[in-house]
Amino acid sequence: MSAPPMDGRIVVDQLTKVFGGKVRAVDRLSFAVEPGSVTGFLGPNGAGKTTTLRMVLGLVHPTSGRATIGGLPYRQLPMPGRVVGAALESSSFHPARTGRNHLRILATVAGLPVKRADEVLALVGLGDAGRRKVRGYSMGMRQRLGLAAALLGDPRVVVLDEPANGLDPDGIRWLRGLLRHLADEGRTVLISSHQLNEVQEVADRVVILNRGQLVQQGSIAELTAGTDSVVVRTPNPAAMHAALTGEPVQVDQPDPATFRIRGLAADHVGHLAFVGGVELHELRVDRFDLEDLFFALTAGEHQSGPPAGPPPAGFAPGGPA
Amino acid sequence: MIRLINAEFLKLRTTQVWFWLLLAAVAISALTVIGPIASGDVHRGRDVANMFGNAGIAYIVLFVLGVLGVTTEFRYQTITPTVLLTPSRWAIVTAKMITYALVGVAYSIVCVFIQLAIAVPWLSAKNVDYSLSKDGVPHAIAGVFVVLVLFGIVGLGVGALVRNQIVAVSVGVIFLLVLEQIIVAIPGVKHVYPYLPGPAARSIADVTARDDSINGVHLLTAGGGVVVLLLWAFVPAIIGAAFSMNRDIT
Repeated sequence: MSAPPMDGRIVVDQLTKVFGGKVRAVDRLSFAVEPGSVTGFLGPNGAGKTTTLRMVLGLVHPTSGRATIGGLPYRQLPMPGRVVGAALESSSFHPARTGRNHLRILATVAGLPVKRADEVLALVGLGDAGRRKVRGYSMGMRQRLGLAAALLGDPRVVVLDEPANGLDPDGIRWLRGLLRHLADEGRTVLISSHQLNEVQEVADRVVILNRGQLVQQGSIAELTAGTDSVVVRTPNPAAMHAALTGEPVQVDQPDPATFRIRGLAADHVGHLAFVGGVELHELRVDRFDLEDLFFALTAGEHQSGPPAGPPPAGFAPGGPA
Repeated sequence: MIRLINAEFLKLRTTQVWFWLLLAAVAISALTVIGPIASGDVHRGRDVANMFGNAGIAYIVLFVLGVLGVTTEFRYQTITPTVLLTPSRWAIVTAKMITYALVGVAYSIVCVFIQLAIAVPWLSAKNVDYSLSKDGVPHAIAGVFVVLVLFGIVGLGVGALVRNQIVAVSVGVIFLLVLEQIIVAIPGVKHVYPYLPGPAARSIADVTARDDSINGVHLLTAGGGVVVLLLWAFVPAIIGAAFSMNRDIT
């Protein structure tokens, strides 16, 4: 570890950015990112994720509030290239320069040996492609080059904006492994994404943002605790309805033959059906995932994609079909 | 600072812009000697000095190189990693100024070398009586160095101030090639002409610049030209580093 000894905690405190005097891109946002974990920074496009990351990195001046890394604002960090590694956009390269030369320049600026360029190229799997001009790189290769640049200084804190964009499925799996490895080494890893399921696979914690405001933060386990549901399909809904009567459950019926039951474990639901003599065609546990959580928390304000979460209220047991 | 200057040289070396602009500077300086000698206008030492000093008009090339030195970073967003690694805008701009001043020296050496390589054998073949150490020839050659060194910084300053590559290059080049000539033709405002960067450059490198007037306007002395060109080099760079470069990078 060549990173200077310091706490790699990122603290965002009442951060606000107003563009042009009226557009509130980020609004009194506060959250913390802990070392040794992968934190997903989530929100739909335009939620203010990138603006927040740019304020954390000292590229954009906050209108009010502050962001610190290890207790210091980014611009006061000594040797920032060895403390924080960031990849913000997949296009910040000169097209006529080779990937390797791009990295050699950054290594020179950061006071690192230029051979680090070859080491990180190998690390991200670009290797020989490093000697080609960036103009000929695919989106995925540019992502890898950006990631290589972020890792040049062996940083304690890694900040990546939409790192999975443009990666193929293999690349995404590789990226997850890399992020996991970095966090396990005790580094602070903050990744933004609008693709929630990609993050769920790797993140320990999430910070969810919508319209510039914090919606929720915490570990994925905490946020989804108690939100699993049991789904039952039966040819005689009336009997199922009777079997559930009196139980402390919340039931939705997306269609007459299907019950979504919250508040009971699957084996308990199975027992009730057996005792009540209800024929079952399906009994399964539906895990509430990040996407459901996200739609539930943002109350469907997010337009793209149909809500996969709880159906609209009004479906009660035995209610109108 | 040494790290930053090394990195700036590496940035220059790893794209081809420096080569094509050097080629342009070479072409300009070659023409400044081929033209007068071929047309038989060079008879004495003062003509030789005048000819050598004209390589100063390669300032347009150094200007463009300087503008690109800053604006390319904004155009391709390499400014983001640059600023992440060097949060001080002063350090970034200072490193670029030193680098492009050194590049100005290198370009000057090449330009003067080309001029000498063409002029010396050709003039002796034509039996022109002159000396490289008399009649203002050393002044002219030194003037070319001063002009080319400072003009790279003028370009950097304009680039830092404007940030937009297309705007900075086109407005800058049109100003230097066209607007300055229009300004000197307008009564009332024509008296600012000697203080513009192009005419200031002429008053430094062109030993005959004060021999006659342009539309009744006299150029500055060489010393005055240096002072004016220093202001053109440093004022935009300082304003650019303090304000424009410090604006949000989104």
